[in-house]
Amino acid sequence: MNLIDFLRKNVENHGDKVAIIDNHKEITFFQLYGEVEKFSNNIEILNQEKIISLVSENSISFIIAYLGIINSGKIVHLISPEISEMNLFNQLKSSESKNIICNQLMKNKISNFDSIKTTIFEIEEILLKHNNKKVKSNVNELAYLIYTSGTTSEPKGVTVSHSMIEFTTKNIVKMLGYSSSDIDLLPLPLNHSFGLGCIHTSLYVGSTLVLLKNASNLEEILESLKKYKITTLAVIPATLTKILNFKNEKIKKYFSQIRLIITNSTAIPKKTVIQYKEILKKGNLATYYGLTEASRSTFMIFDKNNQREESVGKCSPNVKIEIVNEEKNNLKIGDILIKGDNVIKKYWNNIEADKNIFDGWLKTGDTGYFDKEGYLFLKGRSDEIINVGGEKVMPIEIEQSVKNISGVEDAVAFGIVHEVFGQTIKLNVIKSKNSDIDKSQILSHCIKNLEKFKIPSKIDFVKKIPKTDYGKVKRFMLK
Amino acid sequence: MNNEHESKEIIKNIFFEVFPNLDKNDFSWEKEQKDYENWDSFAQLNLITFAEAKFDISLTLEESIEIKSANDLLKIVKQYLV
Repeated sequence: MNLIDFLRKNVENHGDKVAIIDNHKEITFFQLYGEVEKFSNNIEILNQEKIISLVSENSISFIIAYLGIINSGKIVHLISPEISEMNLFNQLKSSESKNIICNQLMKNKISNFDSIKTTIFEIEEILLKHNNKKVKSNVNELAYLIYTSGTTSEPKGVTVSHSMIEFTTKNIVKMLGYSSSDIDLLPLPLNHSFGLGCIHTSLYVGSTLVLLKNASNLEEILESLKKYKITTLAVIPATLTKILNFKNEKIKKYFSQIRLIITNSTAIPKKTVIQYKEILKKGNLATYYGLTEASRSTFMIFDKNNQREESVGKCSPNVKIEIVNEEKNNLKIGDILIKGDNVIKKYWNNIEADKNIFDGWLKTGDTGYFDKEGYLFLKGRSDEIINVGGEKVMPIEIEQSVKNISGVEDAVAFGIVHEVFGQTIKLNVIKSKNSDIDKSQILSHCIKNLEKFKIPSKIDFVKKIPKTDYGKVKRFMLK
Repeated sequence: MNNEHESKEIIKNIFFEVFPNLDKNDFSWEKEQKDYENWDSFAQLNLITFAEAKFDISLTLEESIEIKSANDLLKIVKQYLV
């Protein structure tokens, strides 16, 4: 089954049901399929092209364009609306895409990029065309191309096939219990594996998807929970933590009907998990571990009987994970390797990156370990290790510990050059609202909870920590 | 600005934080690094980090290396607080 088959199944089963709600607009599955077909027909002019770039804010039009490009037998190259001119230039060159489809706002933005000579089409213009010639649907093996966010290295092109999507979507449904009766709130950007996975799941089960432009307006998220009688919510951990600044009674009221909050594997503060366990009376908070290259490789449901608040859970069905270390012991920290039908076969035009895939195993660059019951714990990325006088330190351990201090909203640890130790640890901290915490209090906490070579040698209070749309720290920007 | 009495209290507390096994009765301003069980290079770094945070100062590498006792740390801190 491919994504278009997912959609067709809903048209047959409940064509009049609302598929997507976007602000004041609604579209049924029947209407959505009609628009997707129309979009496919109208981009016939681009038929010579194998790949088409798509960039837009969250909207029904975006989803029509996404499915329309796929339905026309092409690969969608998904681009973040926040992309810089240089990054866009590099992605277009690497992807060999000759056309960009976007909304009007993005067309205005990209038209001002002097280095971009690619032809630009507006989504709405394409939809308004009249092409009576019906193009036969011939879906490509590959569905989309995304360049990974490059938090520690140059972006790499990742192509995801329909069979990977089908495998992953079925695992999501099986593990998290999605059904056609769900109403899913999605305030995540759709140019990323997390947001896309949510669209695919809604299409697969035939639930109703409520789109928000982004997660910056917390009041809008809370009001939407009530207005649309939302049953599932997908957000990054930072959004969940920020919501906790509202009064507890208010949060409980808004979340009373939620059966699932799904978040991604960017480290969730333990105290946030514990608080949501208390808030969700009828549901659970869940997370997963995955990469664009190996989506949803584990699942973790934080139920009240499981105290592993810092785990990303157990392997997904038919996905294998190995920990590679000198001891050949999965219970000890080592490099994480993943194998399964959710794993890419190769990167897009990148022989160097392909060296990370061998015999079906993907070397993720992440490190972690399993406990005896098979729960995976992430310990950071192998290229983020800080070497303090020969002692190896994972930033995540310090960050998790410091984030548990009352008065700390967020923290990031990284290595700085030191004349004696080679490297020592610097910690950048964002204080919670109205917090008067000082550096000494943070150090006192660290010395009580961490080994002495893990104590930061420098602490700065900062207003912002540079992160991707999905909450991953852009470590190369830290100073 | 801290007076000498306050500074001394702060430094004593730093030593008790960095060396949690240090008994209150065993603290001495003259007691030297070699007489501490756990005063290694990492503990030295922690002492300096705490002092910098508590007094809002920044020690040079030379000053950091000179510290071999609580008294040494007090002397250096006092120079910054004049």
